[in-house]
Amino acid sequence: MSIAAIRTLRGRAWQIYEQMGMPTPQQEDWKYTDLGRINAALGDNWWKPAVPERSIPSLGADQLEALAIPDLDAWIAVFIDGRFQAALSDLPEGIDFAPLMRLVIDRPEQAASMLEVDKRMPLFNGFVAVNSALATDGGVLLLKANTVLDRPLLIRHIATRSGTAHIRHSIRLKERAEAHIVEHYCGIGEAAGLTNTVCQIDLAAGSRMRHDRIQMEQPCHYHIGRLSVTQARDSQFESHSVALGAALSRVDLSVELAGPGAACALNGLYLIDGRRHADHHTVIDHAVPHCTSREHYRGVLDDRARGVFNGKVVIREGAIKSDTAQSNANLLLSPFAEVDAKPELMIYNDDVKAAHGCTVGRLDTRQLFYLRARGLTEADARQVLTFAFADEVLASLKPAPLRRFVEHAAFSRLFHEEDAEEMLT
Amino acid sequence: MLKIENLHVAADGKEILSGIDLEIPLGEVHAIMGPNGSGKSTLANVIAGREDYTVVEGSVRWRGDDLLAMTAEERAWAGVFLAFQYPIEIPGVNNVYLLKAGLNAKRRAQGLTELDAMDFMALVREQASRIGLEEDFLARGVNEGFSGGEKKRNEIFQMTVLEPSLAILDETDSGLDIDALRVVAEGVNRLRDPERSIVMVTHYQRLLDHIVPDVVHVLIDGRIRMSGDKTLAHELEERGYDWVKAEVGGA
Repeated sequence: MSIAAIRTLRGRAWQIYEQMGMPTPQQEDWKYTDLGRINAALGDNWWKPAVPERSIPSLGADQLEALAIPDLDAWIAVFIDGRFQAALSDLPEGIDFAPLMRLVIDRPEQAASMLEVDKRMPLFNGFVAVNSALATDGGVLLLKANTVLDRPLLIRHIATRSGTAHIRHSIRLKERAEAHIVEHYCGIGEAAGLTNTVCQIDLAAGSRMRHDRIQMEQPCHYHIGRLSVTQARDSQFESHSVALGAALSRVDLSVELAGPGAACALNGLYLIDGRRHADHHTVIDHAVPHCTSREHYRGVLDDRARGVFNGKVVIREGAIKSDTAQSNANLLLSPFAEVDAKPELMIYNDDVKAAHGCTVGRLDTRQLFYLRARGLTEADARQVLTFAFADEVLASLKPAPLRRFVEHAAFSRLFHEEDAEEMLT
Repeated sequence: MLKIENLHVAADGKEILSGIDLEIPLGEVHAIMGPNGSGKSTLANVIAGREDYTVVEGSVRWRGDDLLAMTAEERAWAGVFLAFQYPIEIPGVNNVYLLKAGLNAKRRAQGLTELDAMDFMALVREQASRIGLEEDFLARGVNEGFSGGEKKRNEIFQMTVLEPSLAILDETDSGLDIDALRVVAEGVNRLRDPERSIVMVTHYQRLLDHIVPDVVHVLIDGRIRMSGDKTLAHELEERGYDWVKAEVGGA
C-alpha cells in the first residue's frame, strides 16, 4: 500500500460523493434538516478548505486560554481549522497517537483502512464520502491491551475562518484498555464555516471508553458530525453528545454491539435558542445476544429553535436477551420552538427487554407555582426548572471541571445572571 | 390580620367558593374544616396565589395588603406560606437551593441583605434536625423520591426556615402516621407567635388534638356555615357535617 493507493481510495470516495450528492429533505433520514441553509450561508466557501495549503493558522495564547475548559486535567490535542497543532498539544509519552497527515506518509496502510468508505454503515451519506475524499487531518489513537489512559484526552477543535474543515479521527482500544475522550468543538469570529468530522471508535473485548462530545461552535458556523462505534465482547461505551452552538448541527451516532455482553449508554442534550437547528440521529444495533443499551436524550428549545431526535434501535433475530431502554424528553420554552422526535424500535425476536418513552412539553405549571409560592420570581422559577430538566443529562459528566464547564456554557446561553452552580443537586 | 370579604371563586366555569367572609387576627390559629369538595383547598390555594382559579368577586387582605393584586411570589415576600396538600416533586432542584433562593428573594423584597451562606446552612441544619429530616434530604431534589410523610415534614421544615407571618396548612395531617403527626405538630406549635397567624385546613380533628385552634370554622358548599371554639371540632368528629347543614338551613 502506498500513497498512490490512498489517492485512488480518495478518488473512489469522491466518486461516491458525486453519485450520492449531499443529503436532501427528500431522504427520510434528512426530512427535518435542510442543508440549503449551509449552501446559502457559505456560498463559494462551501468547498474551500478552511486552511489554505501550506498556511498554518494560529491563535494567540489568550484566545486559546479563553476557549479552554478551566481546571480540566487532561492530555490535549489541538486542531485549528481542522489542522493538528503539535506545538499546542500535550500528549502522553509511549502512547500511539499520530495526526492523520503523518500517518498518510508513515503508515499509508493504516491511513487507508481508516479512510475506507463503507456504504453499508448506518446513516451513510455524502458527507462521510466527502470526508474520506478530503479529510487532511485528524487524530489516530491506538491503546494497547490493558493500557489505561491516565487522564482524559481532550481533543480541541477550534474554528477560526470560513471554508470547510474535514476531520477524521480514529480511536482503537485493544483488549481491556480504558480511555476517556472529550471532543470539544468551539470557535471564534464571525466567518461562516463548516466542520465535517468523522470519528471511528473500535472497542476490543473488555475495553471501556467514556466519550464526551461538546459542540459549542459560533452562531455563524455549521457542524456535521459522525461517531461510529463498534463494540466487541464485554466492552463498555458511555457517551455524552451535547449541542449548544452552531447555526445548524447534525450528529449521527451509530453503535454496533457486536460481541455478547457489550453495553453502551448514550446521553445527549441539545439546548438551543435563536434560529438554531440541532439534529441528532442515533442507531444502536444489537447484533448479538446479551447486550445492553441505554439512551437518554433531552432537548431544550427556545425562541425559534428547532430540534430533531431520531433514535433507532435494531435488535436482530438472533440477539436474544437484549436489554434496551430509550428515553427522549423535550422542553419547549417558546411557542415558536419546534421539535421533531421519533423513536424507532425494530425488534426481530421476542426474548428481549425493550422500553422507550418520548415526551414534548412545556414547563409544569404546578412546579412553577410551588417555586413561586416559596418566593422565587416567575423568571427565576422558569430558569430553575429549565436548568433541572437539562441537568438530568449533564449531571453524569465527569470529572467535575468538565461538568461545570458544560453546565455554565449551557445555561449562560439561555440565562444571563444566575450562577448555575448554586442550583445543583 | 387576614380579612376575607365576600370571596367568590370559580374554576372551569363552576363556582367553588360562594361568598367567604373570614377574619383571622394576628397571633391566632384557626382551623377550617369541612367535607370533601367543600372548597377548603381552593380557599388555601387562592390565598397563596394559584392562578388556576378565577376570583369572581370579593377581597383578601393580609395586614392591609391586597393579596389578590399580588403575584404568588409577592405574597410569599409579604409573609404568606402555603404548606401544600400534595407537595410536588421537582427532580434536579436542590432542596437547600430552593430555600435559599426563596429566603433571599424575600429578604431582598424587604430591603434586607441576603443571608450569609454559613449562617443559612446553620439555620437549615438546625431546623432539619428538629423536624427529623436527615441531612442527606437537604442535598436531594425537592421532594424527589420522598415518602408521603417525608413530603409533609419537608413542608413544615420549609415553613420553619422561611418563617412566614401567615401560614396556611392544607391537609398537612393526611398521610401522616402518629409519630410524624406529633413531630409536624411540634413544628407548627413552635411557630405560634403573637405576630403570626396560622390557618389549618383539615378534614379530621386529629391534628387539632396536637395543635389546638383558637377558632374552628366549618366550610360547606363554598361558604363558612358555622364558627366556634375547639369543641366544635370534636362535635364535628362525632356527628359529621350533615347536622351543620340542617342547623343552618342547607345551602
